[in-house]
Amino acid sequence: MNQNSWIMALALILLTAIVSPAVHGQTATHEDSAEGLRLFRTNCAGCHRWHGGGGGGYGGDALSLRRTKLDRAQIIEVIGCGRPGTGMPFHLRDAYNDGKCYGLSATDVSNGMVREAKNFLRPNEIEIIADYVIANVKGRGEPSFAECQAFFGTGSRACNVYKSQQTAGQ
Amino acid sequence: MSDRKIRLLGCCMAALVSGLVINAAGARADDNTMTQERLLNADQEDGNWILHHKDYSAHRFSNLNQINADSVKNLKVAWTVQLGGLEGGGIWTHGGLEGTPIAENGFLYVTDGWGSVYKIDAHHGEGVMLWKMDPKTDHDWAGAVACCGVDNRGVALWGDMVISHSLDGRLIATDKNTGKIAWQRQVANPDKGEVITGAPLVVKNMAITGVAGAEYGIRGWVAATDLTTHKEVWRTYTIPGKGEPGSETWKDDHEARATGGGSTWVTGSYDPKSDTIFWGVGNPGPDWDSQYRPGDNLYTDSTIALDANSGKIKWHFQHTPNDPYDYDSVAENVLVDLNGPNGTQKLDLEADRNGVGYAVDRDSGKFLWAVPFVKKLTWTKGVDPETGRPLEYDASKPVQNYAVTPSRDDKVTMVCPGNMGGKNWPPTAYNPTLHLWYIPVIESCNRITNEPTKPGSFKAREMFTGGGPSDPVRITGSVTAIDVTTGKEVAKQEAPYPMLGGLLATPTLVFAGQPDGHVMALDAKSLAPLWTFNTGGGVSAPPITFTVDGKQYIALLVGQGGAWDKWFIDGTPDLKRIAPSSTLYVFGL
Repeated sequence: MNQNSWIMALALILLTAIVSPAVHGQTATHEDSAEGLRLFRTNCAGCHRWHGGGGGGYGGDALSLRRTKLDRAQIIEVIGCGRPGTGMPFHLRDAYNDGKCYGLSATDVSNGMVREAKNFLRPNEIEIIADYVIANVKGRGEPSFAECQAFFGTGSRACNVYKSQQTAGQ
Repeated sequence: MSDRKIRLLGCCMAALVSGLVINAAGARADDNTMTQERLLNADQEDGNWILHHKDYSAHRFSNLNQINADSVKNLKVAWTVQLGGLEGGGIWTHGGLEGTPIAENGFLYVTDGWGSVYKIDAHHGEGVMLWKMDPKTDHDWAGAVACCGVDNRGVALWGDMVISHSLDGRLIATDKNTGKIAWQRQVANPDKGEVITGAPLVVKNMAITGVAGAEYGIRGWVAATDLTTHKEVWRTYTIPGKGEPGSETWKDDHEARATGGGSTWVTGSYDPKSDTIFWGVGNPGPDWDSQYRPGDNLYTDSTIALDANSGKIKWHFQHTPNDPYDYDSVAENVLVDLNGPNGTQKLDLEADRNGVGYAVDRDSGKFLWAVPFVKKLTWTKGVDPETGRPLEYDASKPVQNYAVTPSRDDKVTMVCPGNMGGKNWPPTAYNPTLHLWYIPVIESCNRITNEPTKPGSFKAREMFTGGGPSDPVRITGSVTAIDVTTGKEVAKQEAPYPMLGGLLATPTLVFAGQPDGHVMALDAKSLAPLWTFNTGGGVSAPPITFTVDGKQYIALLVGQGGAWDKWFIDGTPDLKRIAPSSTLYVFGL
C-alpha cells in the first residue's frame, strides 16, 4: 500500500467514525414510547408543554415541536447541545468538552451563552426522546383529547378541557 | 380486668389528667376548640401559633423569649419528622414545602405541597405523627397548570376542624381528632387554570380562599365559604366585570379583562375594628405584554380592602399600574398601630414585588410613604412622595412607559428587581417593640423577553404570558429592616441566596432560612448573624415558634418548594446540587 493509499484508508476510517453515529441515529429508532413519554415528561414538558406545542411562559419561549422542521438527527443534536443564545439547555454532560457542539467550548457554557440542563441525559435517552417526538408530536395539529389521555392517562381530569372542546366542536 | 384493659384505662386516665393541665400558653390544654374569640386574641396565646401569620395583623411576631440573643447559640435540633408529598405531577418532577406550621397545645398541623395534612404530637421531646389526611389531589389536573411549583402554605383551625386547601382547588375540613375528612367543597377550577396554594384565613365562621393562575389567563377572585353550611357567602372578582367600577381601566377593544389575571395566592389579614379583610392581588395577564391591555388594569398589583360580610371592595391601592414586569402585589398586608402626638396612625404595610415597601392608611387606603428595600431598582426612577405612584406614571397614557419597560418596541430588557420580585410570597415579620419591619428580599435583576399577544390566542390551561424571563446574572438575597416610624431602611443583612422562605420575629431575634439549607438567627436590631444551622435541604418555608410543657421550640418545614429550581436556577446555578426533601425540623435549647 503506497502513501496515498494509507492516507485514503485513514480518511475513510475517520470519516466512518465521524459519520457512523449520525447514520446510526438516522436509521435506528426506539419503539419504547412509554420510556419516551416518561423522559419527555420529565425533561421537556415543562417548557414545551405536554403536547410539545411550546409557547411563552416562565420557561421562556419554547419552540413548537409540533411544527418543527427538524429531522431526527437535528433533534438529537439540539437536545444534546442545546441552542446557544436561547433558553434551550444542553443535556449531554460533555457537550462542550471537545468542540463537537457547534465548535463551542466550556468557556461559552460558563459565560451563559449556552444553558446547562438541570439533569443530564445519556445519548441513548436523547435518542428515545427524539423518537418519541417524531412518533407522537412532530407534524401534529391541535392537541386532542385522545392525545392528552395518551400522555396523562385516563385517571386524571387533566384532559377535561380537550373533551369539552371536542364536544363543542361537534 | 385484663392487662390490656388496665393499660387502656391507664392511657385514658393519663389523657384526662393531661387535658386538665394548664399549658404555657395560658390556655387550658383541653381548650382545643377554635373560636373567633381565640383567633381575635391569637397574639395572646404565646405558646401557640393558631393563625397563618400568627395573628390577624400578620406580624409573625412571638413574645416567647427563652430562645433569645444570648441563648440562641445553644439552639440545636430537637427532633425531625419525615413527611411525604415529594412525588411529581403535571409539569413538576417533585413537590415541595412552603407551609407555615400551626401549633396548638403541643400539637402541630403541617401540610405538604399536594395538600396532605399531618398532625404531629410534639410532646415528650419528639415528634409523633398521629395522622395524615391525604386529599388524593389530582396531580396532573392541577400540576399541569400550577405555574410555580407544587405548593401548599398551610392550614387554619376552626371548631374541631382543620381547614385546608388542595392544589386542585378544594376547601377541605378534616376532623382534628381523627384525621377524617368531614366535608369538602370545590372552590377553584383547574379546567380554567385555577389552582390553590395559599392557606385559608378563617374569619367569623368563614374560610377565605385566594386563587393562583394569572399566568394561565384566569380572572382572579377572593371567596368566602360558610363553615357551617359549607356554601359560598361571597366571591369578589379582582378584575371588574363590564360596567363595574374599575372596568374603565381596561381600555382595549378585545375583552382583555376576561383573561386579566389578578390572582390572590397569599393569605390576607383582618382588622376586627373596621371588619375589613386586606388581601393582595397579583399581576395582570399577559404578564409581559402590557400593550395587549392598555389602562391601569385594576385591581391587579393592588392591595384591596374587603368588607368581611359582603366581600365588597372598600378601597384599593395600586402599586404598578399597567404592569409590564410580573410585579404581583399578592404579599401579605401587615397591620400596625403607631401611637403619636396626633393619635394612632393605622398602617397597612406591603412589601411589593416591585422592590418598594408601601405604607397606606388602612381605613382609607391613603398613601403615606414608600421605601425601596432592594439594592438595585431600575424599573422606575422612584415613587412620587405625594401619590405613591411611580414617578413616570402618566394617567393620560393608556400604556405606561417607566424607566425600563419591556414592550413590543423594546423586546429584550434587563429589569431590576427581576420578575420574581424584590420580595415574593415569603412573609415579612414585624417587631412591635422595636417598630422594625423585616423583609425577606430577593436581590435580583433578570431579562424579560416580550412576545406580542394576539387577541383570540388565549387557550384554557395554556400559559398566557406575553413573553418570558431568563436569569443570566447572579441572584442573591438579604433580610432588610425598615423602621416604620420613619419609613427608612435601618439594617440589611446580605445573604448568598434569595430569601425564599420568610421570616419569624421574636423580641431579640429574626429567624430565616435559605434555599441552600441554612437556617439562621439574626439580631433583631442589627441583623447580625448569631446562629446558623445547615438542614441539608432547601428551605422555602417560614419558621414559627411555640411551646410544649413550658419549653420553647422553633419549627420549620424543609423541602425545596416553589419554582426556583425549575425556572430560575440559572440565577443561582450552585443550587442545582440541592435535592428535593420533605422534613419537619424542630429546634430547642
